[in-house]
Amino acid sequence: MNKRIPRHLPDDALIAQAKSGDNLAFTELVRRYEETVYRFSYKICRDKEKASETLQDTFVNVFRKLKSFDGKSKFSTWLYTIVTNNCLMKHRKRKSDELEESLEAYDHARHTEDTVQRPELVSSEHSPADIVIGKELRDILETAMLKLPEDYRVVFVMRDIEGRSSEETAGVLGLSNEATKSRLRRARAFLRDQLHPYISAHPELVR
Amino acid sequence: MKCDKVYLHICDHLDEEITSPRCRQIKQHLEECPNCRAYLDSLKKTIVLYKAMPEPSVPAGTHRELFKTISSLTLSPGRARAKKRRCTRKS
Ligand SMILES: [Zn+2]
Repeated sequence: MNKRIPRHLPDDALIAQAKSGDNLAFTELVRRYEETVYRFSYKICRDKEKASETLQDTFVNVFRKLKSFDGKSKFSTWLYTIVTNNCLMKHRKRKSDELEESLEAYDHARHTEDTVQRPELVSSEHSPADIVIGKELRDILETAMLKLPEDYRVVFVMRDIEGRSSEETAGVLGLSNEATKSRLRRARAFLRDQLHPYISAHPELVR
Repeated sequence: MKCDKVYLHICDHLDEEITSPRCRQIKQHLEECPNCRAYLDSLKKTIVLYKAMPEPSVPAGTHRELFKTISSLTLSPGRARAKKRRCTRKS
């Protein structure tokens, strides 16, 4: 039996083969991007079951739509767009709209006394490797993240957690660069306010 | 530059090069203003904490489900025929 070994193919070639209807190449493509899609789904859904569902739905969509992938964006960007659409469709809830409005308040800077802190809190670099996130903190992080409307969550996750560009993030959400930036600004300010009581009570947390 | 202006722009420049005149103003304000410095610091910490959250891997059951779905897709009638044709041609 003539065995091709798609594992050694670079992504571009693999995608081209999968597009032409090669099932082995498609399966390899799924294998290669399974973790990426799952993790991104999890970071948006914040729930393992929903992330598993989104993973399935995403690759079913990829199978059906792969022919329309034109290679103008990165393949991972295209995947993220599908994940985001799946998440947004599945979990679109009206209650997020209320918060969306209140998030606009974060455009107007607030200067509250509680931001005045002991100078030793002001440090320059933080290394995530040293941080152990206990249960209490994890709950606070999750609760705050779940309060964010999903498109804000996508922006925060892509920009600040994954370090992707503003243009790429805007492309995934179909937003302008400006709208993406303002969402990032609001999302950060909102999350910061949610975490602030815990952070200021635990100055040793991040050094 | 006043605090509220700085607040609005701090976030834009959190990880970016500070070169433009506006950014220089912000930087200068930060040097003089402990409030804004503390705010920026807690913003940075917020991001660091989210980045430090553990990320789960695909659970074994989910992986199996996914590949079951994939093989049912790739072995659907149209595709299966195409595959057969290719194989016949090769042998
Ligand atoms: Zn200030």
